Amino acid sequence: MTAATAPNLEPVSHAAPGRRVLVAEDSPTTHEILKLLLTQRGHHVDIATDGEQALEALRHNHYDVALLDFHLPKMDGIRVATTVRSELPAHSRPRLIAITADLPGLLAHTADCENFDLVMPKPLDIYRIGQLIEEQAELGDEKQPEPLKPGRQSAPSLASAAIPAAVRQPFAIEGLGYEFLLWPEDIDVRRLSARAIQATLGDPRFDAILITQPVSVEALASLWERKALFALPIVDLTGTLGRMADFDGADLSGTEAERLGRLIRDFQDRRARLHRDLILSDKLSEKLLGRMFVANRPLTAAYDPRYRHLAAYDIPLGRRLATREAEALCEHGLLKREFFERFHICPSCDSYRFHVREECSQCRSSNLSEEQYLHHFRCAFQGPESDFRRGDELVCPKCHHELTHFGFDYDRPGTMVVCGSCGHAASEPSVGFVCLDCGVHTDSEVVPTRDVFSYQLTDQGVSFAEKGGAVLGYARQALRFADLPLELVVALNAAAKRYNEDKTPFALVNILYRKESEVVAEFGARRFAQARDLFIENLRNALAKPNTVVKGQSHDFALLEAIGPEQAQVDFDHLKERASRTLSVDLGAMFQAFGPEDFS
Amino acid sequence: MWQDASDGLTYLLSQSGESLLRLFWFVAIFEIPRYLLGFISVAALSVRPNTRSLPVDDSDRVTVLIAGHNEEDSIERCVQSLREQSRPPDEIIVVSDGSTDRMPEKLRQLEERGLINEAHCTQVRSGKSAAINLALRRATGDVVVIVDCDCTFDRQALKRIIEPFADPRVGAVAGNIVVRNARHNLLTAFQAIEYLVSISQGKQVADLTDQMSLISGAFGAFRRVAMQKVGGLDAGGGEDLDVTLRLRKAGWRTLFAPEALCYTSVPETLSVLIRQRFRWERDAVQLRYRKHGDLMNPFSTGFSLRELLHELDFLVFSVGSAVIFPIYVIWLFVTYGDLGIIILIGAQIGMMALDGATFLLAAFVTPKAETLWLAPYILGYSLFNGFVMRFVRLAAYLQEWIVEASYRDTYVPSKVHRVRR
Repeated sequence: MTAATAPNLEPVSHAAPGRRVLVAEDSPTTHEILKLLLTQRGHHVDIATDGEQALEALRHNHYDVALLDFHLPKMDGIRVATTVRSELPAHSRPRLIAITADLPGLLAHTADCENFDLVMPKPLDIYRIGQLIEEQAELGDEKQPEPLKPGRQSAPSLASAAIPAAVRQPFAIEGLGYEFLLWPEDIDVRRLSARAIQATLGDPRFDAILITQPVSVEALASLWERKALFALPIVDLTGTLGRMADFDGADLSGTEAERLGRLIRDFQDRRARLHRDLILSDKLSEKLLGRMFVANRPLTAAYDPRYRHLAAYDIPLGRRLATREAEALCEHGLLKREFFERFHICPSCDSYRFHVREECSQCRSSNLSEEQYLHHFRCAFQGPESDFRRGDELVCPKCHHELTHFGFDYDRPGTMVVCGSCGHAASEPSVGFVCLDCGVHTDSEVVPTRDVFSYQLTDQGVSFAEKGGAVLGYARQALRFADLPLELVVALNAAAKRYNEDKTPFALVNILYRKESEVVAEFGARRFAQARDLFIENLRNALAKPNTVVKGQSHDFALLEAIGPEQAQVDFDHLKERASRTLSVDLGAMFQAFGPEDFS
Repeated sequence: MWQDASDGLTYLLSQSGESLLRLFWFVAIFEIPRYLLGFISVAALSVRPNTRSLPVDDSDRVTVLIAGHNEEDSIERCVQSLREQSRPPDEIIVVSDGSTDRMPEKLRQLEERGLINEAHCTQVRSGKSAAINLALRRATGDVVVIVDCDCTFDRQALKRIIEPFADPRVGAVAGNIVVRNARHNLLTAFQAIEYLVSISQGKQVADLTDQMSLISGAFGAFRRVAMQKVGGLDAGGGEDLDVTLRLRKAGWRTLFAPEALCYTSVPETLSVLIRQRFRWERDAVQLRYRKHGDLMNPFSTGFSLRELLHELDFLVFSVGSAVIFPIYVIWLFVTYGDLGIIILIGAQIGMMALDGATFLLAAFVTPKAETLWLAPYILGYSLFNGFVMRFVRLAAYLQEWIVEASYRDTYVPSKVHRVRR
């Protein structure tokens, strides 16, 4: 495997070098938010508010990425893209990303669509955009997947991929009447077909992903980069994925076809039960959890000698990433570990592939031979058996008496391990580890170890999969922009603008109700909703204008003006007390404060 | 009582030389010559030019062999003190002889830390001889130094003990053994004086007269080829005395290196001391008069004057003095009645004076051991040695003579006793 020589890729940090980004978008709210977030991630952002402006900017400046709205005033996004593609040489052309709320409308222009490198549906997934721009390669895990270099790709299109499917010979399995997405026809490392994009939106009519060409787990990283695709079963026609696939489609005899039907139905049922939050999640950890839920099996490690790390999980995701994400889920109590194996690690190259052998403690040679030694009682000579050997007789080399009776005139008190290379002898051999990947030798006493676990969903993990983020409440610290109510986004946008202009701080308070489930169980959901409304009302009164208190779906928010998160925290207890004063039930309200820095 | 004493004194003082000899014949035969030899040799040593100033051959490899049974507590200190030598050994081989404690594990650690070169661990006990033979077979040094686990060494000890090997006729050299726990109690103080007189000084006498017949197994150096020619150690107790006698028979010179100081712990209770001495004396008798009896037979090939002398020395001054002493005491009382006790006391006073003089000489020739503080214990030592230890020796000789007890010693595994010569 070439993986053996690839460097170890730790996750790329957010400190990716800044990119030049053009945002062509007529909605001020959208481009302000985009600008705020991308600027804080270290990128340079230019704004164009119509198609002509955008084209002008693209002609005169070099950009790494251009985000083009489909519906732009004066000239629509497709025309901008078409023009850019025809005018600019491939190496100086930015990566073109269409953003639209009207996906079917865009896809209707099949021929023109191919001028975009990627289509992003609205509402915009700001984190996905950030990732695209920074080209985070971390999904590559063992081996870095081919990076998406803007402008490097010239011809193949989004929709044209569907065409070869029509001309090629269909696989027998396709005759079974399921709706398959094909790898690499519909999905490959770089782009998705229109059908595949439809699937990433959570469209339930797709049944499975069919792997028709040999593929590595690294390449399949693109399944995890998109939404929803992870929740489809993987049917492998090539046999290269082994237990990483859900079904080996090479042999389709009667019972196997039945089994495939059952598998697809099971996945459908489980997928229907998987909460939308997870299907459409961007977080790899949540996708992993969703995958485990849909596949309805634990994340099981098994030996796999093809990899440097000797263990692979039964999902099409690299071991290192799967481990990292599963550990994060364990931290939150969503998964629980089960010990699989303790591996020894090469301190020099991190490989787990070792040759373990008995060796000489002096010269480290494994050229050892073991010999018993004899003790002749009568004359006290004690030495290796070869000293005594005379044909089939044992004769003492010191006193020349024949040894006749074990236990009476001689015995075998021990053994000696003699090194054929340096002649050193010891009563026991040492144990040494030789790395098969880099050849470095390590003593058994000092070779470091790492434990590999299998994981299964906890009850909490299952309920998270079924009920979504609401279940977790306080357990999760991350604030997701997409969760914010629109009213808040507008207010936040204004606050961010002021912050950018004169550094006026603000604090966004996330209000969680830890005792929600208890209150609902005891007094009913209506009583909880009333109490929550009252709490918000009280808080609104306690916080005078210009502060904003906004009701969200699973939690509520308050935006505090002209105060940083640290200062805001000082008053939290007091605020909670005032807001709870007239309440008859305890909601277990918890405040989390975020400042301008948290939106980077 | 006082009247008796003063009568006795008057009686003793009125004796002439010839009649004194008649009274104190035991002392005259069994004690005076021993002391006299000591005095002469010390005098000779102080005037003798240093003949050992041969150039030291540094190219000689030195291997230290250690055999131990259940010595997990002492082995590390012993090895450390060897590593601290001004002339460190080139190789250290340790054999754990059927240890049931954690000694094998300890040896593995020492080997890992590079403090020893080889460690061998037998599962069943073979006895010290076999263990040393195993190590000897692995040794690569020109000189092998055999040491006991409970010994520690003066920094110059190794250098001093290998110096004499510059003379190619030298087959073995004995180290000077000093008591480490002398201050523990009266018993160990007495033994410290005894070691000083019998080893530090006694062996210098033997060395001077070419009578070094015991290279102690606690600290002795051997030329490896010489050792291998005589087949290494033989089975049974007293293997150090035995191999020394065999080396001498084979024509090798055996010497003493007074400055090669080795410290050892001696028994701290009387019962352990007595058991130890029973073993030593039994083994000496068995080896000298059974296994190597030919040394005293003028018609055997092994017979030579230089071997006859130390055999006679042992016969007269060790065996003889122990056996004849009770006869002398009985004779005194039968002949002189109550006066016998006065005569005995007189004899003891005379021996105390001799012991004191000998001790001072010994302390003088071994200044490094710093033993002068032991001087006040001389009186007690003289009595202890003259009465208690003499009877211990006598009992040991009788036991060995009559029941051959050396063949039942636990020092050697019973499987070996059953078949050894």
